[in-house]
Amino acid sequence: MAALPRRIIKETQRLMQEPVPGISAVPSESNARYFHVIVTGPEDSPFEGGLFKLELFLPEDYPMSAPKVRFITKIYHPNIDRLGRICLDILKDKWSPALQIRTVLLSIQALLSAPNPDDPLANDVAELWKVNESEAIRNAKDWTRRYAMDN
Amino acid sequence: MSAESDMEYSDNDGDEYDYYGEVDDCDMDSVDQSKTDPEYFLFSCLRVEEVEKLLNESIELLSNSLQITPSLAKVILHAYEWNAQEIINKYKENPNEVLIFSRVKSCVPSTPGNSNGSHCAVCANTTLLQKFSALACGHYFCNDCWAMHFEVQIMQGVSNTIQCMAPECEVRAPEDFVLSHVTKPSVRDRYQQFMFKDHVKSHPQLRFCPGPNCQWLFRAWVREGARRVECQGCELLTCFSCGAPHHAPTDCITIRLWLTKCADDSETANYISANTKDCPKCQICIEKNGGCNHMQCGSCRHDFCWVCLGDWKCHGSEYYECSRYKEDPNLASDSQHAQAREALKKYLHYYERWENHARSLKLEEQTLACLKSRINQKVMAGEGTWIDWQYLWDSAKLLKRCRYTLQYTYPFAYYMDNGPRKELFEYQQAQLEAEIENLSWKVERAETTDRGDLENQMDIAEKRRTTLLKDFLDININNASSSKV
Repeated sequence: MAALPRRIIKETQRLMQEPVPGISAVPSESNARYFHVIVTGPEDSPFEGGLFKLELFLPEDYPMSAPKVRFITKIYHPNIDRLGRICLDILKDKWSPALQIRTVLLSIQALLSAPNPDDPLANDVAELWKVNESEAIRNAKDWTRRYAMDN
Repeated sequence: MSAESDMEYSDNDGDEYDYYGEVDDCDMDSVDQSKTDPEYFLFSCLRVEEVEKLLNESIELLSNSLQITPSLAKVILHAYEWNAQEIINKYKENPNEVLIFSRVKSCVPSTPGNSNGSHCAVCANTTLLQKFSALACGHYFCNDCWAMHFEVQIMQGVSNTIQCMAPECEVRAPEDFVLSHVTKPSVRDRYQQFMFKDHVKSHPQLRFCPGPNCQWLFRAWVREGARRVECQGCELLTCFSCGAPHHAPTDCITIRLWLTKCADDSETANYISANTKDCPKCQICIEKNGGCNHMQCGSCRHDFCWVCLGDWKCHGSEYYECSRYKEDPNLASDSQHAQAREALKKYLHYYERWENHARSLKLEEQTLACLKSRINQKVMAGEGTWIDWQYLWDSAKLLKRCRYTLQYTYPFAYYMDNGPRKELFEYQQAQLEAEIENLSWKVERAETTDRGDLENQMDIAEKRRTTLLKDFLDININNASSSKV
């Protein structure tokens, strides 16, 4: 495998030295491009109190291409589907090589605080979020308790 | 479009020249096509080099009149759909607006310092300041990163719309900037290919011939309604407006609906309209291997119509009804289920006929090839010259053209509202169909039948076709006047 680009080394160092509040990202021992991520559910959101596991992978042409990120913990959210795939513009067409792992994870945390049912990935969840927000929020809290709070 | 080429085509006499360039020599008379042919459409078939020249003329015109580089001119032309005159006018009024609209310039004042000193925000490396560059927005990054960025974008098929690397910056990288960073020859070639494709796609007067591996392009000045263009290279008939197979008298939106519907339902319909049918009289299984719908059972000699399986005697020249769909009069009282069944029945009625004519068209393609070799044989055997047999060839080509139109009348009829207009349409359709079957029958037996009779039949069929198109093809704006786009 090719040597790790300086950019990835610097980003990793900074993530370890000055971690983002509420987010931990640790590179895998066997692959420095693969990160184990844990995001804590933001305060005042239905995900509060939960610990959400994600995986983040830096593809070969990172940072020219966006990192690949996926939720591993089940989550009830209109922009995250059953497989944990995330609908977030900066992971797709709005990616810029000047963005970083740090900015991506901050955006994901913000997405938990402010779900966007008008741009849905999980259609059934988004539908309920629009027609009956209180029930959707109850479901989200329920899922958080069930899947993101053990351990 | 350049002012020069505008001149060429607004001149009415110029049409004549184009006409001979595009239309096959099978037409019998050389009268003004724009008046006799309801599908007449002014267009030209161009090679890649000719299109490149055309685009370069626009690029040169713009870069000269605005005093900008050709690369910038390309970005702007792409954004304004190649309307150079509009750009020049707008630029005179407010150059800034033009530059911002085409994303040559940033709409927000640039905030340099994204990369401070000699430190690149993308690779986190420190290099000499000389090795940094930026677009008009002033976001500096090191040249190695630009090169990588462009390579990744180009390999993903992006060309004209490659953007600056800074987050949320939408400024586009002009060609010269891209090429000054990308060194790999294969990537540069790819970039230029994609640029050309992108330019053609953004140009309202141009369209690639959709034929497989076809290298030709069409140029025309109107882009709405069913517009027939025929490729000089692969002879494919295409609609210039939508790029689908040519579909007059059906319009672009309807044909799209129909083709999607057929694609969705084809499994059932294919099964139902299978390739064989039983003789209505003796029940022997018959495979259709010729284009004509007038069938004669090889076993019992019964003459019948392949489409409706009715007796051919009822299909006389005045009484041909099998193209008309009869709705069940008791429909209103039926349940929803029965209505759904009726809808399917209606669809299958039109689909079967559509499919049937498509198949006949393919078979007539074979007849055409057969005919060619037969004519050759005759000429070689000293039975007349090629010119003597030309009429045979013409008749087969005319048959193909008529059947093509007939095929595309079925989606039109399917989506038509019931009423007198539909009745008129189906009447004309039936007339056309009857004449086409007559013609088909005669063409297949052409050498043994009377030439005068055949030519008469050709004339009738073509008249039926043009009458139908004249009445129902809804696009007849004067081509000459609309050529000045």
